[in-house]
Amino acid sequence: MSALVEAIDLHKHYQKGKAEVAALRGVSFAVEAGEFISLVGRSGSGKSTLLNIIGGLDTPSSGELRVGGRNLAAMDRELLARHRRTTVGMIFQSFNLIPSRTALENVALPMIFAGMERPVRSRRAAELLDLVGLDQRHTHKPAELSGGEAQRVAIARALANDPAILLADEPTGNLDSHTAAGILELLARLNQERALTILMVTHDQPSAERLSDRLLHMLDGGIIGEERGGRRA
Amino acid sequence: MKGSDLLQFSLDNLRRTRLRTFLTTLGVIIGIGALVAMVSFGTGMQRNITEAFTANDLFTTIRVLPVRMDIEQVMAGNLDGAMSGMQKRTRALNDTAIALIAAMPEVAVVFPEITFPVKIRFGGQETSTTLRSVPVAMGGYTPYDRMGWGGFFSSDSAAEVILSYGLLSRLKLTLDGEDEQARTDSSRVWRRVKADSLIGAEVEVITSVLDLGRMMSGGLAAAGQPSFTEHVTRLRVAGIRPRPHAFSNEQVQGGIVVPLLTGKRMPRFAFNNMWSLLSRGGRPTGSYEALYVRLNHLQDLPAIRKRLQELNFSVFALADQLEEIKRGFLMVDTALGAVGTIALVVAALGIINTMVMSILERTREIGVMKAVGASERQIRTIFFFEAGCIGLMGGMLGVLLGWLVSRLANWIANLWTLRQGGGVGGDIEFFYLPPWLIGGAILFAVGVSLAAGYYPATRAARVNPVEALRHD
Repeated sequence: MSALVEAIDLHKHYQKGKAEVAALRGVSFAVEAGEFISLVGRSGSGKSTLLNIIGGLDTPSSGELRVGGRNLAAMDRELLARHRRTTVGMIFQSFNLIPSRTALENVALPMIFAGMERPVRSRRAAELLDLVGLDQRHTHKPAELSGGEAQRVAIARALANDPAILLADEPTGNLDSHTAAGILELLARLNQERALTILMVTHDQPSAERLSDRLLHMLDGGIIGEERGGRRA
Repeated sequence: MKGSDLLQFSLDNLRRTRLRTFLTTLGVIIGIGALVAMVSFGTGMQRNITEAFTANDLFTTIRVLPVRMDIEQVMAGNLDGAMSGMQKRTRALNDTAIALIAAMPEVAVVFPEITFPVKIRFGGQETSTTLRSVPVAMGGYTPYDRMGWGGFFSSDSAAEVILSYGLLSRLKLTLDGEDEQARTDSSRVWRRVKADSLIGAEVEVITSVLDLGRMMSGGLAAAGQPSFTEHVTRLRVAGIRPRPHAFSNEQVQGGIVVPLLTGKRMPRFAFNNMWSLLSRGGRPTGSYEALYVRLNHLQDLPAIRKRLQELNFSVFALADQLEEIKRGFLMVDTALGAVGTIALVVAALGIINTMVMSILERTREIGVMKAVGASERQIRTIFFFEAGCIGLMGGMLGVLLGWLVSRLANWIANLWTLRQGGGVGGDIEFFYLPPWLIGGAILFAVGVSLAAGYYPATRAARVNPVEALRHD
């Protein structure tokens, strides 16, 4: 059985002024379907860059990256958009909800780009909000939501087009520990109940160890170690 | 992605920045308004002139002149050529010439120009006007085929007259059922009459005759008065011409029209133009000042003109000038359109500015949309729709503004012409807003807006999501 995500010798260089910065220096790893993987490491180690490349927001400078059997390095911008729309869902530290739209509209957004009919969108968005525990918050704007609620909306939005992988970039970075625990619990539940593959960048190593199947340690653009987490498959 | 969703996106975005959208759209409205007002003025003038030409029957009429000079040669500065042309024997405009031209199958009517100034007396009022003589045969042709009231002459020698509409106001008459806007002075002498009551009424036509006897006896110097005697001819009103088109000319159509032979027999001293005064001596008796040749079809004009020239007639056809006039109008239209287009270019810059601003503000939002799967094409389309909406709204409201401005300008211009023109006028349509101009202006607005939206839309589509989403 081939891996859901397979990275082979990924490199990423940025041009920062005149200097060339290497964000990734030969990253290779694989993720099986249904796994909960945590990427840990200090700031600037390349965790977010790796996540953005897997999410199709960024492209590798060299190397090969297969997601669901398709090589992202060979995709043009149109295909990458399709990859973002159908294969992955992303959540961020700063939630990135659209302030002018209600929770329901934010969740429905990816379905608009996927070409779903309005009634289907609304129904599915409502179901997803219920799933993440926001059945009372459908018509609230992001400014009227707490941080935890906003992140739950973002998670619902990430699930809108039924992706194979959820990519979470420090999802609890802006939340207090109590709220953060709730979000992590939700992610663990989604991983468990829906067999959703999760790739999470985090600084919260204790939680990562408790929830993940595996932890990948990154430093200076490379994976320097791997440890098994506490989650039982 | 559905078109309706795209539109919804664009409209939401526009609604969120209502004031900015309004100001940007206002730019387009003003641009299109200026364009529409300008072009509809040009179109209106063109239509008025063309209609006036048609109403006055100038396109199918050739005027045969006794002029022996080649005008084109004179204009070109070739005086020698003009002089040799003058010396060329030209055919006299007599009854033989009329018979010759009348025999041509393409010619409908040919008649001599018998036109001279007269005075009209009716109901205690007197006014000067121009008398024109027309054969009964012209009754079937513009402008004589349509009478406002009454009918055409019964014969070429009937003691009948047809009055022009404008003459009525000069005789201080207003017709029942007609509006009174022609009354520009408040004097009490105006009389309101039924048009039908004028038909059959007797009009005195006064012509002046040079009194040679009185001139010889030294009366001119002694009395200090010109040696003219007045000759009165009484004619019955056969008909009244309809209210004229705004640009029709009383001189061309004749203040009054009488049957050809009736006019020919009237005693007169015709000095209505310098040519007739100067050429009188040299002109053989029984010849006319000019002949009018009315053709059946406009397309025969070049052939007839050529044949008449071969017969040594000097020919003037206004239809020749039409192409020239059309070219002139094209230039005027282009100039007017250019002014409007400049306004629209400024509006387009406004659109670019607004959209670039809005993209800077919405960079993060664009990043989010891309992160959740919006393709570059979808993002570009959303911004294109926004530009298109501004263009469509601006175009439609701009046409409305242009129309309102043209109505206002038309009203003011008519007030002015009414004050200047005395009798007729006041209902001139200076502006013409045909459907093609409405549709064209809106399409132009949308087109210009889309073109203006191209750069911002492309820029929005190229937003780097990683940079856009990088937390602040």
